[in-house]
Amino acid sequence: MKKKIISITIDVIIWIFLLGFAAIVLIPLVFMFTASFMPSNEIMKMPYPWIPSEFRWQNYWQAIKGNDGNFLFLRSIWNSFLVASITTIGTVFLCSLTGFGLAKYKFKGRNFVFFMILGTLMIPFEAIMIPLYLIVTGMGMQDTYAGMIIPLLMSPFGVFMMRQYLLTFPDEMLDAARIDGASEFGIYWRIVLPNSVPAIATLSILTFRSQWDNLLWPLLIVQSPEKKTIPLFITIFVTEKYTNEGAMMAAAAIASIPMIILFLTLTKYFLAGSEVFAARKD
Amino acid sequence: MERKKAIWGFVFTIPAIVFFLIFDFYPVANAFWMSFFKKDLLSLNPPKFIGFKNYTYLFTSEAFWNSVKATAIFTFGTFVPMVLVSLALAALIITRKRFQKFLQMAYYSPAVLSSVVAAMIWLLMFDPRGLANQFLNYFFNTYGVDYHWLSNENMLRLATIIVYFWKYVGYFTVIFISGMASIPRSIHEAAIVDGASGWQDFRHITLPLLKPTTLLVSVMSMIQCLKTFSTQYLFVQGGAPRGPIDVITLNIYNTAIRDHQIGRASAMSVILFFVIMFFTYLQFRVSRSEEVSY
Repeated sequence: MKKKIISITIDVIIWIFLLGFAAIVLIPLVFMFTASFMPSNEIMKMPYPWIPSEFRWQNYWQAIKGNDGNFLFLRSIWNSFLVASITTIGTVFLCSLTGFGLAKYKFKGRNFVFFMILGTLMIPFEAIMIPLYLIVTGMGMQDTYAGMIIPLLMSPFGVFMMRQYLLTFPDEMLDAARIDGASEFGIYWRIVLPNSVPAIATLSILTFRSQWDNLLWPLLIVQSPEKKTIPLFITIFVTEKYTNEGAMMAAAAIASIPMIILFLTLTKYFLAGSEVFAARKD
Repeated sequence: MERKKAIWGFVFTIPAIVFFLIFDFYPVANAFWMSFFKKDLLSLNPPKFIGFKNYTYLFTSEAFWNSVKATAIFTFGTFVPMVLVSLALAALIITRKRFQKFLQMAYYSPAVLSSVVAAMIWLLMFDPRGLANQFLNYFFNTYGVDYHWLSNENMLRLATIIVYFWKYVGYFTVIFISGMASIPRSIHEAAIVDGASGWQDFRHITLPLLKPTTLLVSVMSMIQCLKTFSTQYLFVQGGAPRGPIDVITLNIYNTAIRDHQIGRASAMSVILFFVIMFFTYLQFRVSRSEEVSY
């Protein structure tokens, strides 16, 4: 009996701890959404009111319109979407093609190529960003979408992941397609790609998310306001009008909503993606 | 036929080889090379060879050592608590029969936000009138005390650590959970049958078998912390003093882009490269030798 009481007590304490911690983790998110509807003086009221006295949609309007009324935020959302999507499509295509080549063909020097690619996992992006910046500038891609996208088109981690996945791909399916007269690229395109959805989905989410979040590389490459991505826009917005906290939080909320929706619908792939190494270029 | 087929394998990897040569191996070589030159970003003069002068400059420069210090404090201050707390959270979550998924999602959710947004939210919460002060005042039962989150040197460091900890603790919790889930149930059941308590089961079964995951998470989070940039950059943009949080990546960025000193920035990059390389190597070595079989 006594033992049972102790075990129930421990159980309750664990629940309080876990739920309490969850509450603490979620507070900043709740703060962001509630503050995005408040006027500045309410956000800075002590104690923080938590529930907006009125829903100030003007904050969102101001974030979208921008302080100069040039709607650059909308443009930056589009830019982020464009850059992240193209990078993701390119990464998935190139990494799966390379992974397929490494997993299913025995050619001379295959191990060398594989270890060479694996070796680049050790190269931190932050340590090569300056030479990379000089190269991309030298190629005349400064301040272009191409400059933002091309150097991030492949990740060694993606190649590694696709190779591991495709090692277990049934050879019979490939051979059957060959007998039917499919070309080797045709096999990749029509057999391998459609049958690798789980790995592709995980890699896509990893890539899309790290590009959506990418501050450092666009910061180096982009100068013109109409090419800036969301992280760059927000960085400027913070310095430009530090006083209007409501609009700041509205901008933060708008920037987060696409990712939150993705997270809620594709939770499985998000959680699966974190089991593996973090993508290098984040 | 077989040989013709094999050639395709090589063809499929050509784009990757070209890509990694241009965008990874060449930049590394270039960083090494440039670290021996004096080069101005905007000047049209050819770079001047100066040997190890960039390195000797750095090792006597106060700003560089300040960056080393800021990076070291941030890294150790973040990754140690992060590994311990995420391990504890995972160990507790996995004992729950209900709400496992909900708790994982709740803890993970900050990792979904972009780091810029995360830093922006916390900038407001660390405002003198913001939630952080209110919380501490409530906790210590004081009234209206300002803890100078963004102006006091140590509080500012703590502030960036909190942001990073908050953002990634759930991410590592999820990794630990999947590591724990891969330990066969039968081992735990055998221990319980033999009369082990929950704590003993964790201490003598889970922890030893989880060692590869623990090592992986430790090194991974450590490397991530060494490379931190966004939080510090946004805090400085938001008006915080740069000195205490001038981490090495921020210093590289400013040295190259603001001060135009490509040579010095390259020398710093090379140093960062070796430090991270060392830990990555350690990670590979350790994760290979610590393979556990059940």
